[in-house]
Amino acid sequence: MRILLRSRRLGLPLVGLAIAVAALTGVANASSSAATPIRIGVMSDCKGAFGSFDAQDQAGVYAALSEYTGAKPKDPNDPRKGITGGAINGHPIKIVAVGCGSDNADLAIKETRRIVEQNKADIMIGPLSGDESVAIANYAKQHPTKTFVDGAAGAQDTTLKVRAPNFFRFNGDGAQWNAGLGDLAHNKLGWKTAAVIADNYSFGWTSAAGFIAEFCAVGGNVTQRVFPPLNTTDYSTYAQQLKTDVDGTFVAVGGSGLIPFLKAYEQAHGKIDSKKFIGNLFWGTPGEFESLSTDVSGAYVGGAGTAGDLNTAAAKHYANNVIGKWFKQIPPGGAAAPQAASTFTFGYYINTWGLIKGLQAVKGDIAGGQKPLQKALAKVVINGPYGVVKLDANRQAILTTFYQQLYTKDGKLAVKTVGSVPGVTQTFGGTFSTSTPAPGPTAPTCTKRKLPWVGKETVPKVVS
Amino acid sequence: MSVRQVTPDRVAGAAVLAIALLAPLLFSAYWVSALLTQVLLLGIIAASLTFLSAFAGMVSLAQVAVYGIAGFALGNATTTNTKGLDLGWNPWIGVVLGLLFGTGMALVFGALACRSVGIYFLMITLTFGVIANLFFGQVTQVSGFGGISGISPPSIIGSADANKNKLYYIALALSLIVYLLFKYVTRTPFGLALQGIRDDPLRMSSLGYHVALHRTLAFGFAGFISSIGGILFVWWNGHIDPSSIDIGQMVDVLAIAVIGGLYRLEGAWLGAFVYVVINNYLQTISFIGPRFDTVVGLIFLTIVLVSPAGLMGIWERALGLLGRRKPEGGGTSPLAPTPANADL
Repeated sequence: MRILLRSRRLGLPLVGLAIAVAALTGVANASSSAATPIRIGVMSDCKGAFGSFDAQDQAGVYAALSEYTGAKPKDPNDPRKGITGGAINGHPIKIVAVGCGSDNADLAIKETRRIVEQNKADIMIGPLSGDESVAIANYAKQHPTKTFVDGAAGAQDTTLKVRAPNFFRFNGDGAQWNAGLGDLAHNKLGWKTAAVIADNYSFGWTSAAGFIAEFCAVGGNVTQRVFPPLNTTDYSTYAQQLKTDVDGTFVAVGGSGLIPFLKAYEQAHGKIDSKKFIGNLFWGTPGEFESLSTDVSGAYVGGAGTAGDLNTAAAKHYANNVIGKWFKQIPPGGAAAPQAASTFTFGYYINTWGLIKGLQAVKGDIAGGQKPLQKALAKVVINGPYGVVKLDANRQAILTTFYQQLYTKDGKLAVKTVGSVPGVTQTFGGTFSTSTPAPGPTAPTCTKRKLPWVGKETVPKVVS
Repeated sequence: MSVRQVTPDRVAGAAVLAIALLAPLLFSAYWVSALLTQVLLLGIIAASLTFLSAFAGMVSLAQVAVYGIAGFALGNATTTNTKGLDLGWNPWIGVVLGLLFGTGMALVFGALACRSVGIYFLMITLTFGVIANLFFGQVTQVSGFGGISGISPPSIIGSADANKNKLYYIALALSLIVYLLFKYVTRTPFGLALQGIRDDPLRMSSLGYHVALHRTLAFGFAGFISSIGGILFVWWNGHIDPSSIDIGQMVDVLAIAVIGGLYRLEGAWLGAFVYVVINNYLQTISFIGPRFDTVVGLIFLTIVLVSPAGLMGIWERALGLLGRRKPEGGGTSPLAPTPANADL
């Protein structure tokens, strides 16, 4: 030992040695890139407010790749095990990494940077949540030779304000998803005044903006807006603030916060009167609504461009012959097919499908700084399970949206689709533009205006 | 340089500097632009903590808050069409504002905390950090949960894609300047008085030194350095949000300083290197996967248990065993107040 130590007396010091070892690792990594495969990275949330939907995210991606590129899940009972195979026009699909995000943008940037720059992803799918997507769209702007498609994030700013030319979103934003709810509240439920509570971040603001814009457009008045921070665990102070002298309350508290909020509300104001509540997509998301109390039975909820009970061949095919075919289970929610209509399963699925269509259009060739692929993606039209999806000039989906109602079936809470609005654009009938203030605690203002779909919502046929 | 001046420390320093200068030739682009740049900027922030700890006897958890304040100030001042104030000013004005706000708030923090020592000082600085985190999380006029995105460096640095190495070399140059500045300050009368205050504040007070003022100024100076790290961080990350300065980040910076060695400035960059590399690569190992945070914690725990004086302590001990010299400083934890300062 003594001899060994002496022999190192004037050798490389600890710091130099550490860096030299790292250098070898770095050089090894640098030489590992390959050109022929299509290298795809996925950005999911495995922790934070939406961490419980991680497997749904990955199920959506892998089901689309399995259905349209010949890939196959490694384990039909656990999407997180990944896939084998898959190719587009002879270009093999390679999932290079799956990022483990939470709901915060800082981590999303770090993970995306790791996957793009270290794992050499050509294309990124994701992220899940609003502020993550705003940050990644900004990152995309800095990396024009890479292509990014959204996962399930619904912040408006991502495509309306950032407008990265290489970021594509085949799902709606939070405001689009709530089309029809304001009209429903005012003209069907008779609400004249409403309070709004929403998570204090980009998606919560966008989701609330959709309800506020439409409710005010048809003559309603939003008299209170409360925005608790995302990841709040004790909602008692926010629940107590909420006015009870309003006709109804719109709730856009999501993820792990919804149940604690509802409990806090009941503690503060007594049992919930479901006719005086409308929730956003989280109230009807498979994997989440099952945990709600039957007290909310009868409440209306916004969708995410999804309607799991739609009585169409396309919707049934998607649930049973795509998601249900490739996966038996999506943990922790259980059987896979009933989770097909989840915002997260569907969001990642529809975005991956859009990407595949773009790749097929360029025959899997992503050369030329991916400009041909990006051009092709902008023109993709998807005849999806819940209607046609196409992109606007900011590469944001124009889609049919749905709203649902909770009801009790065999003593358990169930969801029934009760309305749909076709062709909803991100401008929300001219309400939002690149120059209007981004949704926030005070935006949009409560203004009466005409919206093209008001009074024209249809009731789709559903499976009883 | 005479033969007597060729010490293992200097050989090591020269080797590290040479490798750092040649890094773009030796390492992959990802290593340079993502990992090593991060090492340098985290090293700067951790060095500000190490300076306070080693030379003023103050272990601060507020350094992260200070770099956040600088970063948010720059982000609000320079971005447009995003969240925050959307001022869209010149990036260099943003730099000046970042340094001013960061340093100014550090002076305020320092003035409030300067009469506390040991664990009480640590708790007060933790409070500052939490306040800053909650402030930026809840005041949507300057940030909100989503923070400020799309922060671009000045045109002299350029976009991340086109100029991968520029920010790295700027971070390297600033690291060197910060290191030399700390070395210089510790040898000035102010620095020597600070060390006197660290060892025996009562005696220094009896000799006529204004202990609280010295501590406040030291905190302000460390805040200035931390603000430099904050500016580099937002240039590098292009984004800052409250999670960039949450408790986890405070603990990370403290862990970096402790791993490197809380009594030697060089340890800050060494600790940052180990932390960044481990953090980056552990989660790519399939059987660790999402559990990487736990494994990182265990590795850090092991390092601290094996060597309370961190990796620099191991280096010192190795040299001691080789008979070159005895370990400096003894690796005494600055968290433990001396009998003198415990009475303050």
